[in-house]
Amino acid sequence: MDGDELVRDYLGRLDAASWPLPPERRAELADEVREHIETALAEAGRRDSVTVRNVLERLGRPEEIVSSEVDSEPAPPRWIEARIAEAAAKAPTLGALEIIAILLLTAGAFLLPVFGPAIGLVLVWLSTRWTRREKLIATAIVVVIFVLPIVGLLVVTDG
Amino acid sequence: MDFPLVLLLIPAAGIAAAIFLIVVLARRRH
Repeated sequence: MDGDELVRDYLGRLDAASWPLPPERRAELADEVREHIETALAEAGRRDSVTVRNVLERLGRPEEIVSSEVDSEPAPPRWIEARIAEAAAKAPTLGALEIIAILLLTAGAFLLPVFGPAIGLVLVWLSTRWTRREKLIATAIVVVIFVLPIVGLLVVTDG
Repeated sequence: MDFPLVLLLIPAAGIAAAIFLIVVLARRRH
C-alpha cells in the first residue's frame, strides 16, 4: 500500500467507526482528520508509506478518535431527539385500525346497530393512538348518550 | 323499549364518540 492508499484506508476506517455520531459531526470529523493528515504530510514534505504510517500512528486508531468523540457527545444527542420528533410528525394520524373504529362508531351504528359501535369501541381500546384517558372519555360518551337514556326509559316504563 | 329512540341514540352516541376521538388526534398533530 502506498501513502495515499494508507490515507484512504484510514479515512475509510474512520468513516465506518463513526456511525454513532450525528451525520454533520461525522462529516466534520472526517474533514478535520483529513486536513490534519494533509498538514502533517505537507510539513514532512514526503508522502511515502513510512511517513504516512508515522502520521497515522500519531493520530491514533480511528476507533479511538470516534470513541473520544462519542464520550464528549451530550446524551441523548439532540439529533436523535429531532429524528424521533420528525418521525412522530410524519406518522399518519389515523391508521387502518383507527379508521375502522371510527367507521364502526358512525356508519356501523346504522349497518350493525349496537354491535357496530360496540366493536368500534373495542378497536378504539386496542389502538395505541389514543391515551387511556381519551379512550375512557369516548366510552363514557357512548354510555351517557346511548345506555343511560335506555336504562332510564326502561326504569320509567317498568315503574 | 321505544325502537326508533334506540335507532336514534346508537348513531348519536357513536358519532359523538367518533367526533371526540378525531378532534383529539387532530389537536395533537398541531
